[in-house]
Amino acid sequence: MSLREMELKQEPACAPKTLGNYLWSDLPDENKWADCVHCGMCLESCPTYELTGEEQHSPRGRVHLIKSVAEGKLSVNEQFMDPVFACLDCRACTTACPADVNVGGLIEEARGQIRQAMPLTGWKGAVNKLFLQELFPHQNRLNSLGSLLKFYQKSGMQKVVRKTGLINIMPKHLVEMEAIMPKIKEPVRKKFNDADVIKAKTETKRKVAMLTGCVMDVMFSDVNEATVNVLTRNGNDVIIPRNQTCCGALHVHAGDRETGRKLAKKNIEAFKDADKVIVNAAGCGSMLKEYHELFRDDPEWHDKAFEFSQKVEDISKYLHDTGYEKPKAEMNIKMTYHDACHLAHGQGIRQEPRDILLDIPGVEMVHMPNSDRCCGSAGIYNITNPDMAGAVLESKMENVPEDVEMISMGNPGCMLQMAIGVQKYGRNQKVVHTIQLLDWAYQKEDSLKEGN
Amino acid sequence: MSKKGIQSKDPHVLNLVKIVGVDPVRKSILYKKEDLLAYDCDGFTLRKHLPRAVVFPKNTAEVAAIVTYCHENDLPFLARGAGTGLSGGAIPLNGEVIISMVRMKKLLSVDFENRRAVVEPGFVNLKLTNSISDKGYYYAPDPSSQYCCTIGGNVAENAGGAHCLKYGVTTNHILGLEVVLPNGKVIEIGKDGVPDQPGYDLLGLLTGSEGTLGIVTKITVRILKNPEGKQTVLAYFDKVADGSKAVSDIISAGIVPAALEMMDKTAIEGVEAAAFPVGHPKDIEAVLLIEVDGIAAGLDEQINQILAVCNSNNVREVKAAQSEQERAKWWANRKTGFGAMGAISPDYIVQDGVIPRSKLPEVLKRINEISEEFSLRIANIFHAGDGNLHPLVLFDARIPGESEKALEAGSLCLKACADVGGTITGEHGVGIEKREEMRFVFTDEEIIAQTEIRQVFNSKNLLNAGKLFPSPGRCVEVKNEIAAAAAK
Repeated sequence: MSLREMELKQEPACAPKTLGNYLWSDLPDENKWADCVHCGMCLESCPTYELTGEEQHSPRGRVHLIKSVAEGKLSVNEQFMDPVFACLDCRACTTACPADVNVGGLIEEARGQIRQAMPLTGWKGAVNKLFLQELFPHQNRLNSLGSLLKFYQKSGMQKVVRKTGLINIMPKHLVEMEAIMPKIKEPVRKKFNDADVIKAKTETKRKVAMLTGCVMDVMFSDVNEATVNVLTRNGNDVIIPRNQTCCGALHVHAGDRETGRKLAKKNIEAFKDADKVIVNAAGCGSMLKEYHELFRDDPEWHDKAFEFSQKVEDISKYLHDTGYEKPKAEMNIKMTYHDACHLAHGQGIRQEPRDILLDIPGVEMVHMPNSDRCCGSAGIYNITNPDMAGAVLESKMENVPEDVEMISMGNPGCMLQMAIGVQKYGRNQKVVHTIQLLDWAYQKEDSLKEGN
Repeated sequence: MSKKGIQSKDPHVLNLVKIVGVDPVRKSILYKKEDLLAYDCDGFTLRKHLPRAVVFPKNTAEVAAIVTYCHENDLPFLARGAGTGLSGGAIPLNGEVIISMVRMKKLLSVDFENRRAVVEPGFVNLKLTNSISDKGYYYAPDPSSQYCCTIGGNVAENAGGAHCLKYGVTTNHILGLEVVLPNGKVIEIGKDGVPDQPGYDLLGLLTGSEGTLGIVTKITVRILKNPEGKQTVLAYFDKVADGSKAVSDIISAGIVPAALEMMDKTAIEGVEAAAFPVGHPKDIEAVLLIEVDGIAAGLDEQINQILAVCNSNNVREVKAAQSEQERAKWWANRKTGFGAMGAISPDYIVQDGVIPRSKLPEVLKRINEISEEFSLRIANIFHAGDGNLHPLVLFDARIPGESEKALEAGSLCLKACADVGGTITGEHGVGIEKREEMRFVFTDEEIIAQTEIRQVFNSKNLLNAGKLFPSPGRCVEVKNEIAAAAAK
């Protein structure tokens, strides 16, 4: 060993750990890109590559750039940020990759570095802070916002805003979003606030805890309600732990891993007595199952997070595995199914939701080509990258069969985005959550029984 | 997302923008280092170089204008498809302007009556089959990268695939081409896909020319009717010699399978550790994947013959695919075999030798020796039916010197193929990787005969220079050495 090599081996006592031009804490994981052999099998799976044909907007290209920063060939700057943040985080490349490279995980880690190197400033920073720090982690504020939206819808203000053209002062994609805003109802967490345990309607077979989600409970409380109904009907006692919070997926996607870790710790604590954590939002489920990735530098929490992640299950997979009562009422619906990215690519759950839908009498399932292609929602991507999200949505809508009445899926972000698509392209499908449809079938069965 | 303003100081970039225009959503030209870096290599990662710029033409006229501009301004340039090539054909060694063909990706027409289709060069191989399969047709050449590689790239490399044993390689399926010559002129060859045009066989010359003679902008391909039936079998062998004897015996029995693939122990370890495991036993030395297709009535008979051959060669187990899903799973396991090596090694280089089938045990033994000599693991994936061997040299580029070692080991594997009367590439092309190895199979005169043809098309040698043939300097040196030796 030469003297120089000796010098390099001797680490100074308090040197911060760095990796090439990654200079901040929570370094990207070298082992993740070590598996990539640059074969290119991921290219066609990537919506942003499909649209642009640009290699830096492909999974392979992004991995190459992320690796190049570690090799000191690039710095963490604006130009590097562009390809890394244009990724939808849809994970389709993970499915396509022959070597199982975790591109999504790498992207999130690189975003963490970018955000530490270049904190968001100006209005972008303000908006980011407003949503990610001040809103999503605080259920009470979300509920207040929900009440406000409810007021907006019920008071007639919505009509006024739409009619007067006041709405046109908003950017186009927000107008599109306003147009499809679901009817705001009472959040499940408010509704069941006092009940420690929501008892099974039949004999109790199992006990589960449920993540209500932040946006889900405000925008789609009926999906949460349907989930509670379906669980209790199938012999599950349901607990909704009070101290749970936003899962942190949106924060981690945006590179704010620190807040992600805070929220993760809170949820791990909130669910520590649960044996099973049921999630009905694919994006949240995927995040919860990956909590340990956030604690690679913290062995104690890493173990806790890993243990927690083993308890997490998507509602469709849980019902499939534990068994459920097959509904008897005839629904007579022609429908199609959209694979939410974080369900199909993130959690490998494809067949289970389809089986549930096919178990409902009278459901005719029409195949959607490229059903596991991202719809462009991708967390808050449709807000941060509206042009790309719009283009992705357009190609998604081209694949939605013309002659179906409903599109079913397992993620609230997709539900909003697909509803925008239906509205924007003059289609007439109803957008539903898989579990809602099952719940409706049960309800119909019950009302038929009562009617008799 | 793209920003509208072009902030480059390079006058050539500004002039090229005038040709391709500015697109509101996508960039029509890349010139910043961060973007260009993604283009510094293709599927061959051992040599890297930044391009000067990457331009995205939308039609033949734009390609011709870009090429004319480069020709007039002495700018080196090259065409790139999906960048999945394994020999470095799309690496901008000389700081080329890369002309990316990926936005010319339309299926222009399908003529079922005359069994042909016209595609733009950026059209992805598998998409052609997917677009016509509902009518019962398919496009036969099926390189393992067919999920994402472009037909333009297939033409440049004369791509093969698992099924080329029975159906032939790309050149057997090309009926016509529209080509932008290196001086910017546009020509059409094999007009209207009518076979046997008088004059020189330019279709044959252009197909497999590795992007050194022109840029293909429109391709007429042959499409085939789906075979009536298909049967697929896996056979496990304890000894690799038994497996390769079985391959020879199947062919000598007069059976022409649609595909006859083999993987050795290390390759099996890779595919089983990766995304599409099948559950191959870990302790076997070879697995054969055999597929027969054709008129349904004759298939059982063929399969029985194949089973008999396997049994007489000490096969441990044979099984037939019980469903289309099972068959698809076996093929996914095989077709993702290269990328799967990522699961057991940080880097690999894949070699592409061709050998007479009967020499397989001998060559594998030699490859084993090379592996031991260099202390590098080598996996073997083999289109056994047509003798196209892919040794995959596994290495870790982070260890100083190991890349060089891997290259040398790879080169020796090719030497082993050439030594038994084979050659140095079956389907991946020569590119940068095997330039020097061309000398294993060609004399100086044979190489010069070919570079003189290049000279006719590519007189300024601006298009993809430094690929396919040993560098001229070296060639002259060798000649001088020969002359010197002769003088003595």
